[in-house]
Amino acid sequence: MLFWIGLTFLEAKAFQYEGDLGKLSLAGYLEGKAIYAFDRDTPRENPSEKLGVELKASSSSWLSSKIFLQAVDDGKVIDPDNKALFNQFDRIYQDKNPYVNVNEAYLDIYTGKVDFRLGVQKFAWGRLDEINPTDNLNTMDLTEGGINDEIERKIGVPSLKINMYSDMADVELAWVPVYVPYRLPQPDERWFPKVLKPPEVIKTDTMVGNIPVNTSYQDIDLPAHTVGNSEMGVRVSKYIGGWDLSCSYFTGYDPMPLTDAPVDLTVKLLNPLALDYRINTQVTMVPEIHRMDVFGFDFTTTMSSFTVRGEYAYFKNKYYNQKIDPVLEQLVTKSRQDEIYKEFMTKYLASGGRDNVQVFHIDPHIPIQEDSMKYGLGLDYIYGDTTLSVQFIQELIPNFNADKPVYFNKNGLNTMLTFLFKQFFLQNTMEFNLRTVYEVEFQDFIIKPSLKYNFTDNLQGTIGILFISGKYDDSLFGQFKDNDEMFAKLRCSF
Amino acid sequence: MKCKYTGYAIIVFLVLCLTHVTPALSAEMTAYQIVKKSEDLLDQAKDSKADMHMIFVSNKGEKRERTLNLFVKRYGNNKSKSIVFFNSPADVKGTSFLVWTNEKKEDKQWLYLPALQRVRQISASGKGESFMGTELTFFDMGSQDIDDYSYNLLKEDTVKGESCYVIEATPKKVEFYSKVIVWIRTGNFIPAKADLYDTKGQYQKQGIFENVKNIKEINTPTHIEMHNVQNGRATIIDLSNIVYDSGLKEDIFTERYMTRGN
Repeated sequence: MLFWIGLTFLEAKAFQYEGDLGKLSLAGYLEGKAIYAFDRDTPRENPSEKLGVELKASSSSWLSSKIFLQAVDDGKVIDPDNKALFNQFDRIYQDKNPYVNVNEAYLDIYTGKVDFRLGVQKFAWGRLDEINPTDNLNTMDLTEGGINDEIERKIGVPSLKINMYSDMADVELAWVPVYVPYRLPQPDERWFPKVLKPPEVIKTDTMVGNIPVNTSYQDIDLPAHTVGNSEMGVRVSKYIGGWDLSCSYFTGYDPMPLTDAPVDLTVKLLNPLALDYRINTQVTMVPEIHRMDVFGFDFTTTMSSFTVRGEYAYFKNKYYNQKIDPVLEQLVTKSRQDEIYKEFMTKYLASGGRDNVQVFHIDPHIPIQEDSMKYGLGLDYIYGDTTLSVQFIQELIPNFNADKPVYFNKNGLNTMLTFLFKQFFLQNTMEFNLRTVYEVEFQDFIIKPSLKYNFTDNLQGTIGILFISGKYDDSLFGQFKDNDEMFAKLRCSF
Repeated sequence: MKCKYTGYAIIVFLVLCLTHVTPALSAEMTAYQIVKKSEDLLDQAKDSKADMHMIFVSNKGEKRERTLNLFVKRYGNNKSKSIVFFNSPADVKGTSFLVWTNEKKEDKQWLYLPALQRVRQISASGKGESFMGTELTFFDMGSQDIDDYSYNLLKEDTVKGESCYVIEATPKKVEFYSKVIVWIRTGNFIPAKADLYDTKGQYQKQGIFENVKNIKEINTPTHIEMHNVQNGRATIIDLSNIVYDSGLKEDIFTERYMTRGN
């Protein structure tokens, strides 16, 4: 269906009007993608199509607007339940296919020294590639595991941006009145994070044995729409002596997924005389959001033949997800079971033996607050058609609590090394791209080589391979280590 | 003193060959004086803008097209700012490239890629390499000191019926070209043709500058070709809607306009 709609657009080609009424342009693309999963037991992903349409209009030199919509027939979504057409700004689990995504839709007003942008938009703060600690105004669409291009995974948020320009400095103010949550795939889909899946059983060394775990997922409960619950950021930039410098401040909600896991322990007395009982566990994964403050600084300059980029952010009141397995195991230790059983028996006896099934609600408070900082340094070397880029990015939790291990950080550290090699051939019609990321503490990595070829100015094909590996199942990349795949994309632009 | 000279194609590419209609000077001019005269005439307009249509021709004759808008502002003393906005094809639409040239310092360059939504300062290195797939190099686009070359007036010749000085420019320190032979029209001091030789002394490229139009009393070649005889490729540039001294605002040459587009 999308393919045929797309063909209609392609036949129409890009439309452009420039006259007394102003400027109007319509452009876009149709993209098809297919993957071959090396591990055939992993959740499937069918071929997908995406039609992007961008409409730009300006009636004068001070007023313009842009709407960028994507109509998607998504091969990753399995058995969608949500019949809504548009992706919703208040849901984590969109669970729909096909759908339309409002990528960007805003109005620009340009005045002498101040620009206003109002509408659904994406911000781009920071100077590092792909990973920007100071860039927290947009949440991410993680339905592709977060390994797709940054601009694709970033969710446009309804907001107001004001840019003020002066000789002293350029100032950007951003106000996001309502928090827009990140997006996740459904738990049975290919790119659902394994770290958000509790174990199927809790291991105990008591007579109860392994306790089975049932899991359900709730969508997010958003805070009231008040000014106090809105998000705000300010970034001041200045070019000084060859250095592009910026400092920034953000106050708002952590854009990364945080999940509490309240547990209902169901105790069933099978044989009162033998004191034989069974425990079942129901874990509900409940998204949480926490406000934080981020103080940031970034720079770019050139030194000799290199571009040097740096970024630093201090996170105050940041929360991390504790590893869920040890937390659940702590809930059913021998001593905890004894306490629960004692309470059970008290109620059981008080009910005259009728309450032989009782539910105990426990909230283990998975997210824990730990201030942290994240910083990185990047080095680029461009020589004509060749680009080399390396980055060192590290997260540090100064007061790391070793008794409460969290995901994606080991003993207070998480160090990433990224490497990008890009080479153009044949007058820029062919591009080889090799992108790798390695996490030092977790010894996991992604390697993504791809080859892109422009058959014509408007028809582009890409093939590539995605290798993911990791020592641990609960590291950032290790959780997806079964998802190695080969992919092919064809994009027709108009 | 700087001169955008050896890379003749880019004289047009960024500075638009702002050569004033000037009667031929006496035949006693030295090669250096001819080059200096041509260079002096380059900085006639304080600013300029133009639409550019580029065709890349592969060695198999396949053609790819690009359309751009170009804005240049000059401040004297070889200080200038220029910005290029890419309009087509779709995969580069919205890309912009800003260069600040300063006689006393390294050029400063910024690139805005819509796919990243970020402006990135980039190193001005790799000057011998192709600029975005064209047969022009970053070196061609930059500025060089006229005194870094020695000049020799070889002869007078005609190019398509126009009388030209034929001058050999040899760099005192060979970096990207071992020599450039340029045909400068005797009538208006606009280059008509340039042969560029690589560092091994092999003939590498030929630049052709044609279709000279008088715009606001400034003679401007509006059709430029750069043929790479070694790899068989070519870049053809046609300029249109050329406007000089329109009073371009300073803030066009900033990050603000790079992201906003023209």
